[in-house]
Amino acid sequence: MAGIVISGVRRTFGTVRAVDGVDLTVGDGEFFTLLGPSGCGKTTLLRMIAGFCELDSGEIRFGTERIDRLPAHLRDIGMVFQNYAVFPNLTVAGNVAYGLKARKVAASEIAGRVEEALALVQLTGYGGRWPHQLSGGQLQRVAIARALVIRPQVLLFDEPLSNLDARLRVSMRSEIRELQKSLGITAIYVTHDQEEAMSVSDRIALMNAGRLEQVGVPVDIYRHPVSRFAAEFMGTTNLFAARALGRADGGLVSLRPEALRFAADAPAGWPVLSGSVVRVELLGPIARLDVRLGDGTILKAALLDAPEYQVQAGATVRLAYDPSRLTVLP
Amino acid sequence: MTFAIPYRQRLPLAIAALGFLFLGVFLLYPLFNVFSASLLDPDGERLTLANYTKMLGRPFYRTAILNTLGIGLAATVITTALAVPFAFALARLPVPAKAAILALAALPLVLPSFVSAYAIVLLLGRSGIVTQWLQSWGVGFGSIYGAGGIVLVYTLTLYPYVLLPTIAAFKAVDVSMEEAAQGLGSSPRRTVWTVTLPIVLPAVLAGALLVFIETLENFGVPFVLAEDMPIFAVEAFKLFIGETAPNPASAGVLGVLLILMTALVLLVQRRFLSARRFATNARQAPPILTVGRGLQAASAIYCWAIVILALVPFFAIVVLSFLEFRGPVLHANFSPANFAGLFDRSLRPLANTLIFATLAAACVTLVGVPIGYVVTRFRSGVATLLDVTATLPFAVAGTVLAIGFIVSFNSGMLVLTGGPLIMVLAYTVRKVPFAVRSASAIVHQIDASLEEASISLGRSPLQTFLRIVVPLMLGGILSGVVLTWVTVASELSATVVLYSGPWRTMTVVMFQALEGSGAGIATAAASTLIVVTLLPIILLYRLVRRYELSML
Repeated sequence: MAGIVISGVRRTFGTVRAVDGVDLTVGDGEFFTLLGPSGCGKTTLLRMIAGFCELDSGEIRFGTERIDRLPAHLRDIGMVFQNYAVFPNLTVAGNVAYGLKARKVAASEIAGRVEEALALVQLTGYGGRWPHQLSGGQLQRVAIARALVIRPQVLLFDEPLSNLDARLRVSMRSEIRELQKSLGITAIYVTHDQEEAMSVSDRIALMNAGRLEQVGVPVDIYRHPVSRFAAEFMGTTNLFAARALGRADGGLVSLRPEALRFAADAPAGWPVLSGSVVRVELLGPIARLDVRLGDGTILKAALLDAPEYQVQAGATVRLAYDPSRLTVLP
Repeated sequence: MTFAIPYRQRLPLAIAALGFLFLGVFLLYPLFNVFSASLLDPDGERLTLANYTKMLGRPFYRTAILNTLGIGLAATVITTALAVPFAFALARLPVPAKAAILALAALPLVLPSFVSAYAIVLLLGRSGIVTQWLQSWGVGFGSIYGAGGIVLVYTLTLYPYVLLPTIAAFKAVDVSMEEAAQGLGSSPRRTVWTVTLPIVLPAVLAGALLVFIETLENFGVPFVLAEDMPIFAVEAFKLFIGETAPNPASAGVLGVLLILMTALVLLVQRRFLSARRFATNARQAPPILTVGRGLQAASAIYCWAIVILALVPFFAIVVLSFLEFRGPVLHANFSPANFAGLFDRSLRPLANTLIFATLAAACVTLVGVPIGYVVTRFRSGVATLLDVTATLPFAVAGTVLAIGFIVSFNSGMLVLTGGPLIMVLAYTVRKVPFAVRSASAIVHQIDASLEEASISLGRSPLQTFLRIVVPLMLGGILSGVVLTWVTVASELSATVVLYSGPWRTMTVVMFQALEGSGAGIATAAASTLIVVTLLPIILLYRLVRRYELSML
């Protein structure tokens, strides 16, 4: 097991700079996520680590070993794919044993390790089944067992949950996280879903147009985005010219909707904004309000539900915000 | 410092290199020799167009060009006119026993067309059975020899080329388009003409072009039926092999012209058709239309009439092969004498046919499947060039390729003439395009991430190809092998140029019997060929059925 060092990696396809000078260090045993919109280069970067895409320049190391020139099948990687990629011509056990056989593990040892891996993903007893007999969630468990059983140096996940339905996605992501932590294998996880990224990751690299936009602990990126892109991609936010809120510094400020409260409930000293409600969405635990301020800008607020609120469109409201949650963007 | 090839590209590049080596030696080099033979003066020293001006100056060969194109055009038009309504009936009308019709309609694709032509001669020829019977009633009809007979046989044997893709296209029409048209006030009849037919048109035209190319290249049918009418592929053969001194220069001219004609047709197809695929995302086949009993009966009769008419000649040959011939005259006694006559002399031709077909099917698979894999998986200039090169044999008539083989491998480093290998290699080259196409279609359906999964689990690209890709392709490869086997077993145009001494095949035996007067031997050889082609097809149907069941 080892950390991963990526330095100066570039790749262009035609005129598109898919990966445009990426430097990253992933710690040993870390759960690291590449997050970004489609076309941002996250999948290309993952495929470079896996060995399915060549680098124009730069290098990739596992620990001290340089691997970017190594053939993909010698890299000692476990990879989980978006569409499962479970071999349809092999049984579940055959799929899980595939990598062990490639590594010439003794036949006597294989059966035990396959059972063990299937138990890890809660598929004990499924060894004799055929892939076409399994559900999507079960197929992805087979794929995970198949990647884990070879005890790889690095685990790679390429949007592994996007083909599953919403409920299963949420339970599978915490399972993946727990498995990775209990085995201590360095993992790189690609997704375009910021909530998923925040839920599973130790750290996130937010990518945009082939470059790293921001790297950090999930909550840091959420609370302290360094750019407008980061602020907007990590969740709903309000962007204002800094002057509009009476601040001296130029540029933009970001204010998350949940940093707002009704002025009546807010601690003293919070700045107050007032306007008229243009839209109300009651989502159960929270209510989302769109409020038009005096200068015409729309302010989005997210408020914890409380029975005494009877806000309707057209009403005039006074909202206060926590000044410490205001982020100044360059 | 060496120029490093990324590891991932080594396997496809290695396959491409081997593919180019094979196609270079056994396709491009012979074709180059045909070209240069046509372009060199008699001393073989200077480049000249004299051969072309000489050949094209002769009315005989100009007529041959017009005959070939005219017959091809007529056959294409008639075939299309017959096959499109047939396809519509099978795809959209309530015709009973569709599966049976479809299975029987596909058979002419694999049965040898010259056998059908020969059967037409035996039935409708000058001393044909039907002719004589009609004459005894005082009824006569025009000659079956010449353009009419050739067009008839082409129509009966080539219509599946239009029928099958057109059925697929009719079934792929998204029914919501028709519903949209009718919602806008179009009558059902008008909807068929203005919406459905335009959508299937590209598929119809693609099939029609295949028919046209087949007619240009076909040697056996005009050989049997043309008599004095000059036809391209036959004249090229006669110039090269005929009684007069072999004339590679003149044969080369005809060969080059033939290649240019087919290449032109293929180019037209690539240019105008590839951009006009009206992909409609039909989630399910459009519903069967409800029609009156009259139309229902008429469409059933129409479908069965075509299917049966196309198969009658083959059936007749099998029956005739069990009747007694004295000279060319037929007697109504059942006896196995023809087969005794055929096999008493030697079983060697039958054995040759079986062995050559098996070897060629194996070679085609070994060459075609890896090429099909590379051209589908790896998008690059090299892959495109390989694809084009591997498709090239499709534009080369068997006769022309065979002439190129003789010219190329008669002397020099690689001498193959006079042996069996030259035949197997010619068959392999001729069938490679089909293997590449079918392999490519199968690879399209295999998710590329399966291969990446295998590689990341520690199998090299080559092992991955052998352990994952090949097993997943197996069903498709198997049917490809059988189809190659069957079409090689009845190959005539290259065979008659390349065979020698002990390496005669069943088609050669039949060909020689045709030239002589051994009608009995010819029918026996023909029905043996029919059995040899049908048996594997029946087996394949069963195998495919079993394979499909196992995947359920």
